Amino acid sequence: MAAVATCDSVAGSTGSAVATASKRNVTSFQKRGPRASGTNDSGPRLVSIAGTRPSVRNGQLLVSTGLPALDQLLGGGLAVGTVLLIEEDKYNIYSPLLFKYFLAEGIVNGHTLLVASAKEDPANILQELPAPLLDDKCKKEFDEDVYNHKTPESNIKMKIAWRYQLLPKMEQIGPVSSSRFGHYYDASKRMPQELIEASNWHGFFLPEKISSTLKVEPCSLTPGYTKLLQFIQNIIYEEGFDGSNPQKKQRNILRIGIQNLGSPLWGDDICCAENGGNSHSLTKFLYVLRGLLRTSLSACIITMPTHLIQNKAIIARVTNLSDIVVGLESFIGSERETNPLYKDYHGLIHIRQIPRLNNLICDESDVKDLAFKLKRKLFTIERLHLPPDLSDTVSRSSKMDLAESAKRLGPGCGMMAGGKKHLDF
Amino acid sequence: MTPSEGARAGTGRELEMLDSLLALGGLVLLRDSVEWEGRSLLKALVKKSALCGEQVHILGCEVSEEEFREGFDSDINNRLVYHDFFRDPLNWSKTEEAFPGGPLGALRAMCKRTDPAPVTIALDSLSWLLLRLPCTTLCQALHAVSHQDSCPGDSSPVGKVSVLGLLHEELHGPGPVGVLSSLAQTEVTLGGTMGHASAHILCRRPRQRPTDQTQWFSILPDFSLDLQQGPSVESQPYSDPHIPLVDPTTHLTFNLHLSKKEREARDSLTLPFQFSSEKQQALLRPRPDQATSHIFYEPDAYDDLDQEDPDDDLDI
Repeated sequence: MAAVATCDSVAGSTGSAVATASKRNVTSFQKRGPRASGTNDSGPRLVSIAGTRPSVRNGQLLVSTGLPALDQLLGGGLAVGTVLLIEEDKYNIYSPLLFKYFLAEGIVNGHTLLVASAKEDPANILQELPAPLLDDKCKKEFDEDVYNHKTPESNIKMKIAWRYQLLPKMEQIGPVSSSRFGHYYDASKRMPQELIEASNWHGFFLPEKISSTLKVEPCSLTPGYTKLLQFIQNIIYEEGFDGSNPQKKQRNILRIGIQNLGSPLWGDDICCAENGGNSHSLTKFLYVLRGLLRTSLSACIITMPTHLIQNKAIIARVTNLSDIVVGLESFIGSERETNPLYKDYHGLIHIRQIPRLNNLICDESDVKDLAFKLKRKLFTIERLHLPPDLSDTVSRSSKMDLAESAKRLGPGCGMMAGGKKHLDF
Repeated sequence: MTPSEGARAGTGRELEMLDSLLALGGLVLLRDSVEWEGRSLLKALVKKSALCGEQVHILGCEVSEEEFREGFDSDINNRLVYHDFFRDPLNWSKTEEAFPGGPLGALRAMCKRTDPAPVTIALDSLSWLLLRLPCTTLCQALHAVSHQDSCPGDSSPVGKVSVLGLLHEELHGPGPVGVLSSLAQTEVTLGGTMGHASAHILCRRPRQRPTDQTQWFSILPDFSLDLQQGPSVESQPYSDPHIPLVDPTTHLTFNLHLSKKEREARDSLTLPFQFSSEKQQALLRPRPDQATSHIFYEPDAYDDLDQEDPDDDLDI
């Protein structure tokens, strides 16, 4: 009380002195009421933002990547402030799909989006987002997919001993009961226009932002990257994602999506030459981007055509500078397309890196051999099954083919590949 | 009959290949090599587009204008808009007819057109440009030119643009070739065996699986295409004929296959740990006349009834 009196006398006897003293919350003996005057009370209460949840392991705030199967493999989701790098497949068919799932999840949860691309206009990318599946229709869609999937030769049902019927199946990950985190999307339908218009998004299309006659100094960032970093920094600062401007309304997450980073359309020549002029441009960009992300409430997805990068050391550096790295390998055009082992799937998915954030160990799953399949409506990630090894007297050629491909798989799938003939006994 | 009608009246198969190459629009990459040259295919495509009434621009950098125009009839030659960068590539003579900015300036100027008519731009050759311009600049310019028409909801619809680029793949490393093939909508790789030329065509439609096919062809002196069947290929037998295939199940002492009756019997067998509804009912509702389960225990000589009393001397 005495402190308040001296403050009053020091500040002068005008009416504003009383106003400033009451605004300042001067003494620590005053209890903070539920109605904080004007400023955001960021005290002991937890921040609950739509579409996020704390990780069960270490309380890290997670957002969904848009694919609940991928969330499960990454240990619950993508941590806020981290980068998810997707190594594109050769013909760039499946990586845009993961990119769009991430953005669609942002729209459904009401997050702010920032879409950057040098190839397509961000407005066009947003027009092609998949439509979300609502809860009541979810189960029907799934059952429909399951029935279409059954082939005639699967009449031989396995009789499972009753103890194991209760174990969770790895294959079909059905809709989770709580739909707050991780939604399902129908890849054959487009997101309704009103949802897109109601969302808050910012687009960065490189040909519009940059004039083509800019001179590039050596050992600096490509002008395209510089502009993009400035754009991201402006958005983070103006919309208060880093806490600099106190937000009057509810806090939100910024979802950043950058498409085809590292391709020559961004002005970067790591895909063209092995020892280009500005080979450090991309790594510098990722370093600065990570700094921006760590100090703000944002999550970023980047797709990169790593199969075109000529210098393998750059790929290793890029992997180290990102947090989560997922590689997609599609079977189109490769000899695996005709391999009977892979006939049910469209490609392999490799989880190359999972971060250790505020932790000594990371939450990696024990399933290392994963394959994906794009069904008509759904993108599923499943464990790759090998047929059991039955006998040694089968013809050698088929066994050699499968053994060659099985060599690439981890030990979790069995050591030898099976043969062609069915043996009943 | 006008030449354009004559061209359309040709056999359907003849025109199909050129049609499919030009129909998709965007960048069409023709990869040739020293053995199988691609300029004649480029000229065949140019002739086809000119006959279809499209505007055709040629950026001639590698061969002279006379050599390029050789073999075309006069009306086709009148329809071609030829930009000559062979005679004076660095514009030392400073005449007005030279395009400002060189070939790159010419490409960029074509980005800014607002004409709704479809246009075909032939680059002869893309290798020449790739050796003199930075790869990234060239890729950005090609992407800007070939994607003008892909903006939905645009106020002034721009016609379809096809960019035909001739690339000599032996001149470049895997980097630039890989980058250009990832940018291209259609990629034609020329090859062949024993005097027959073939084209391996890879079409990348956006968001769909790429389709590929191989077509054997030959180009006639007037630059029309003649599709052919490929030379007969002797198929290599996969299995070595010296080793006879033996069926290992012939002389076994046990039975490996089940007859129908045996299969039915196996299917109707209930496994001991299979949890069926009858078993569940039996467990949930024990029958009154069936007493609770009995344990029949016959103690052995060495069995200890009371484990806490090893000497059996406690008096309980």
